[in-house]
Amino acid sequence: MTTIQPAISEQAVQVWDGRITMRVKVAGAGSPLLYLHPAAGLAWDPFLTHLAERYTVYAPEFPGTSVGDPYAIHQIDDLGDLVLLYEELVRKLGLVKPVVIGQSFGGMLACELAAHFPDLPSALVALDPIGLWTDEYPVANWIATPAGQLPALLFHNPDSPAAQAMLALPDDPERQRAAIAGLVWAFGCTGKFTWPIPDRGLRRRLHRISARTLIVWGRQDKLANVAYAGQFADAIAGSKVAIIDDSGHIPQVEKYDETVQAVGEFLG
Amino acid sequence: MKISLFAQAPYRYLPEDFEQHYESVCSVPYSLTTREGVYSSIRDFMDELMFGARSGFDALAVTEHGQSSYDMVPNPDLVAAALAYMTEAEGIDVAIFPMGRSLGKSREPLRAAEEYAMIDVMSGGRLVPGLVVGLSYDSSVNNGVPPMQVRQRFDENLELVLRAWTEQTPFAWNGKFSQYPMVNMWPRPLQSHLATWITGIGNPNTMKMCLERGFGFTYLSWFGAKLTGKRIFDRFWEIADQVGVSRNPYRLGFLQTVAVSETDEQAERDYAEHLEYGFRKGLGSIPMEKLGLPGGIDIRGVQALLKDPGDFGLYYQMKTATYRDLVDAGVVIAGSPATVRDQLRTFCREYGIGNLHAMLSFGSLPRHLVMKNIQLFSEEVLPHLRDLWTDTEHQHHWWPERLGGTPGTQHIPANTGSAVAR
Repeated sequence: MTTIQPAISEQAVQVWDGRITMRVKVAGAGSPLLYLHPAAGLAWDPFLTHLAERYTVYAPEFPGTSVGDPYAIHQIDDLGDLVLLYEELVRKLGLVKPVVIGQSFGGMLACELAAHFPDLPSALVALDPIGLWTDEYPVANWIATPAGQLPALLFHNPDSPAAQAMLALPDDPERQRAAIAGLVWAFGCTGKFTWPIPDRGLRRRLHRISARTLIVWGRQDKLANVAYAGQFADAIAGSKVAIIDDSGHIPQVEKYDETVQAVGEFLG
Repeated sequence: MKISLFAQAPYRYLPEDFEQHYESVCSVPYSLTTREGVYSSIRDFMDELMFGARSGFDALAVTEHGQSSYDMVPNPDLVAAALAYMTEAEGIDVAIFPMGRSLGKSREPLRAAEEYAMIDVMSGGRLVPGLVVGLSYDSSVNNGVPPMQVRQRFDENLELVLRAWTEQTPFAWNGKFSQYPMVNMWPRPLQSHLATWITGIGNPNTMKMCLERGFGFTYLSWFGAKLTGKRIFDRFWEIADQVGVSRNPYRLGFLQTVAVSETDEQAERDYAEHLEYGFRKGLGSIPMEKLGLPGGIDIRGVQALLKDPGDFGLYYQMKTATYRDLVDAGVVIAGSPATVRDQLRTFCREYGIGNLHAMLSFGSLPRHLVMKNIQLFSEEVLPHLRDLWTDTEHQHHWWPERLGGTPGTQHIPANTGSAVAR
């Protein structure tokens, strides 16, 4: 499926007047690429490994989701501040015109960043981003979904090896508890900006995005209906859409090859 | 000891197989109800509370739960207000004890402060104000508060409520969650010091706050006091020792479901099916994720609960619990008056409990059996418990003066540094 995992280093970047230390995983070589992870937290997966073959990938951990620093989240209360914080992070990392890729919650954040700071990204890729809401297609409340029902919500085929690998928990009870608590807390941290309805007005701001944009969506996404792909595309001038067949909410995991191909063609 | 009649307002006519199909909160279909069923469930609930008032209980206590079939009380202050006026008009000296406007849920905290002030005035100074963080589903699903902000909202709202009750001159409130250019409540409470209670289920941070700041602490022992009581109450008194306050039993309240009949056997015949209904279709049908939505419990708390779920007692079996399970776990104390009073007295004595909240209606229990339970309890149990702690030096500082309490300890303000409890 992919090559060997690259060497991943970690940078700690002080932002928000020193009140938050953002931990950023960095790997690869080439022009910069900022990856914004979904609500469950950052997991280095084959998709990121693939990106690191062509780019220097910068993958920050959302405030509060870094191991040992859970209360960083209490420093940030509203979406406007959150977007400023990420813009500050990009500057402090010294990233000039990075490609910005975000998945789900990270996709929403990527769109917000590109809408607030249109000149920041060289290109924008959003994988099944949340952030829009129409009553016709209510976005599922993943935060309130019992753990046992999450696989069926996230994957078209939750029994597939890729899905199973993503959901696997450590065998050691202590590490297992830490992993579950970490996942629950990550949902809570990101939930500050999505609960109770994951719509903080992004639709009103999408028109400001001027970067080249690709919207990728799993055709069978049960968390956020594929109809939203068209809504994003309609609101972002010149944007392109790639629909991935036989895929749920996380196409880069469930349909890795097809997603990598679509993203690769777009980025050129 | 002070002894309250505690009541919730369950819908009493749910289908037999309810718990196999539905949750009791948030999504529970209203199509399961009838107009008559809703009316009689609420009417009987009010009548039963008033019967308790006339039967010599020290307080009437109710709780807040929105979008719930097991307690149709979206705002306890509506019930408390009706009871305040009724009891005042009848000249009954009973405390009115709403056990929790949920301040983690409230988006209008000043309204909560105003309601309590009104109830205190309407009752002539008989309000015992309870405040509560609030259950996860109620704050976050029913009222849309992000789970991670429930506790912070409670902390901020609590400061506003306490200040609005007592500050003599108008003030501006610039909070994170609410802003008011001028706070100047009319009316203020009649009582110059409202002895405030916080309701909880065992979070040590909540206990510590109560002990440090002079609030009473009410433990709602839904999960079976025989399973959870020792660990919860030992924890409370150990924290009291750490904080350096006296082990005054009057600062601690304990809720217990009680079912009294002529004999132990008759108690089972009278109450078993209704207790099973109550706990299977009520608490047992609240799924765990609705009790602790992600972000609502501190990450360290999540890890602690995963490692040791003991505070949740019988909860995990509640959906299929039998009468015997409920009795064995202490979810209910049932039997003849002698059985019940012996167990209650022993338990309260052992754990230093100075306020007992007896829940005498539950589930589908019909009106006549609720009245029987209240009457037997008030005549044959309550008089045997009241003298508990009278042989000690302890004063009840958490009870209205008009009703024999000696309030006056001002609440200690939160430290600035820990204003946002985590």
